[in-house]
Amino acid sequence: MVSRRLSISSNSLIVLLGPFVGFWLFFWMMPLIFGVDLSMRSDLLVEKSLKVRSVHAEVSDGAYVGFDNYRKAYRDEKFWRSLKNSIQYVLGTVLLTLPLALALAIRLIGLPRKAQGLLLFLLMIPGLAMPSVLSTLFYLFFHGREGFLNQYLILPLGLEPVNWMMDPSFIMPCMIFQSVWRWTGLVTLFFLCGLEGIPRWQLEVAKMEGLGGWSKLRILWMPGIGHLILFAAIFLTVDGFASFSGAYVLLGGSGGILDSGLLFVTYLYQVAFPGGSGRFDFPTATAMSLMVMPFLATLLYGILRIRRHRLGK
Amino acid sequence: MKKFLSVCFLSGVICLATYPFVWMFLSCFKTNREIYRPGQLLPGSFDGSSFRLLLDASYLPFMKIFSNSLLASIGQATLATLVSAGAGFCLAKYRFRGNSLIFGLAVLIILMPKQTFAVPLFEWMSWLGLRGSLWSLLLPGAVSGMGVVFFYQIFRHFPEEWIELSRMEGLSPLRTFWVIFPLVLPGVLAFFLLYFVLCFQEHLLPMLLLDDENATLPLALAKLKDSSHRIPESVGMAASTLSIVPLLLVFAMAFRKLRSALRLVSLS
Repeated sequence: MVSRRLSISSNSLIVLLGPFVGFWLFFWMMPLIFGVDLSMRSDLLVEKSLKVRSVHAEVSDGAYVGFDNYRKAYRDEKFWRSLKNSIQYVLGTVLLTLPLALALAIRLIGLPRKAQGLLLFLLMIPGLAMPSVLSTLFYLFFHGREGFLNQYLILPLGLEPVNWMMDPSFIMPCMIFQSVWRWTGLVTLFFLCGLEGIPRWQLEVAKMEGLGGWSKLRILWMPGIGHLILFAAIFLTVDGFASFSGAYVLLGGSGGILDSGLLFVTYLYQVAFPGGSGRFDFPTATAMSLMVMPFLATLLYGILRIRRHRLGK
Repeated sequence: MKKFLSVCFLSGVICLATYPFVWMFLSCFKTNREIYRPGQLLPGSFDGSSFRLLLDASYLPFMKIFSNSLLASIGQATLATLVSAGAGFCLAKYRFRGNSLIFGLAVLIILMPKQTFAVPLFEWMSWLGLRGSLWSLLLPGAVSGMGVVFFYQIFRHFPEEWIELSRMEGLSPLRTFWVIFPLVLPGVLAFFLLYFVLCFQEHLLPMLLLDDENATLPLALAKLKDSSHRIPESVGMAASTLSIVPLLLVFAMAFRKLRSALRLVSLS
């Protein structure tokens, strides 16, 4: 669709677009530039500025140390561990949430309107709850020897009850479960809205052709909401990398046993604000996020661009 | 058979999504012993002492925290809605230099959320002298890449003729925006609500940026869970219930509008 867009005077442009660009510069770009600068300094300035709380940080004091902080981060095993965990977490969430949400949306679209709305709303409840509520519920309800998971999943299969949070190999599945639980409803809502946009005549044709479930999925549903699936995948990826609350509350701020639940942002937080006697190492934490995030953003941006070319837009 | 399986699948997922919350609500009335036995749904007796303990501020100034949370989230959502609607309108309907650049910028913001550079943001806010107050949360919350893309989609499907008509009538683009703003109200409402929820749930930034007296709900909930051995579990359950019920009510009321707006946005 080529739109015949009108031109716009610069005055109107400033009023309409100015706030966005201004806020962007001031609260997104500036912290980033500040961060680049910070990541090249020694961590002495932070201690100074935290001691005199409420007084502005004296930026001039931290000596420049070049790329030392990056080197430090690069050699830090826990940093790589947290990255690996985050990637696992993201992959698990995306690969479970998307098919589940798609299946739910396809089931729901055939239902009468009233029932559909009600069921969709019920599905969305975990998405409206705070991640910390989900963590608490997980801890009290699903977890534990008498918890839901052991009682209804593990014992009926004839296995030994699992001690979920104490066993390193089960912490990550727990966190992924929690994330899937949280996002499935909202993603289903999104997909369902997309499926409803598919023209009615296509459905009728599919019915007349007598398409089976699988070919219907391939020919009818997937092309209709392919772009939404991509968008949801990217949203979940970014959110997974940025997620903090669920893991923080579930594991009480630690990385869990053997750090098997240590996520990227949780580790950044641990480096920057260590409890107890640790040093506030803001520069290294900043260096870490600068090592990861631009890279990830470029990768995802590339994927978006390629997709857009293929769709011919 | 196939039908039966599909019904089983659907009801299983719905149970998983709702049953824990029913359990949570009923757990407000339970003793610790009963809560540690998750198989039990109904409490031994209904007494609302947990709500009383919570609202009396015996452990936390809950009302203050709740209103902080509401204030911060409504503020962020309002600012972000206005800022993004203007930008999205410009990008969708007018031709100017840098149009696609700014759209790319919005996508970039989605891909690099502010949580991931929370530490530099913390430093920047201290440098500005805003750290500790609600402003340090509100102002960065006004930038939403998602919002710009959302409103771009909303306005893109708005009939071109109306814009041309308003130009012929001699209205400036700003006036045009103001005139058609009420017409996209479902979209505005939908974005407002979704962004409100995201802000309401935000944990990391309030923890870093806010002083204790400005604490928001996620912090309070984490605290209640951490110190569960001193505070009865039912108080935490009551706080959780109170944190979700308002959202459920608002979403239930606006659900139809929300869906019609999302349908528009999800068109390619």
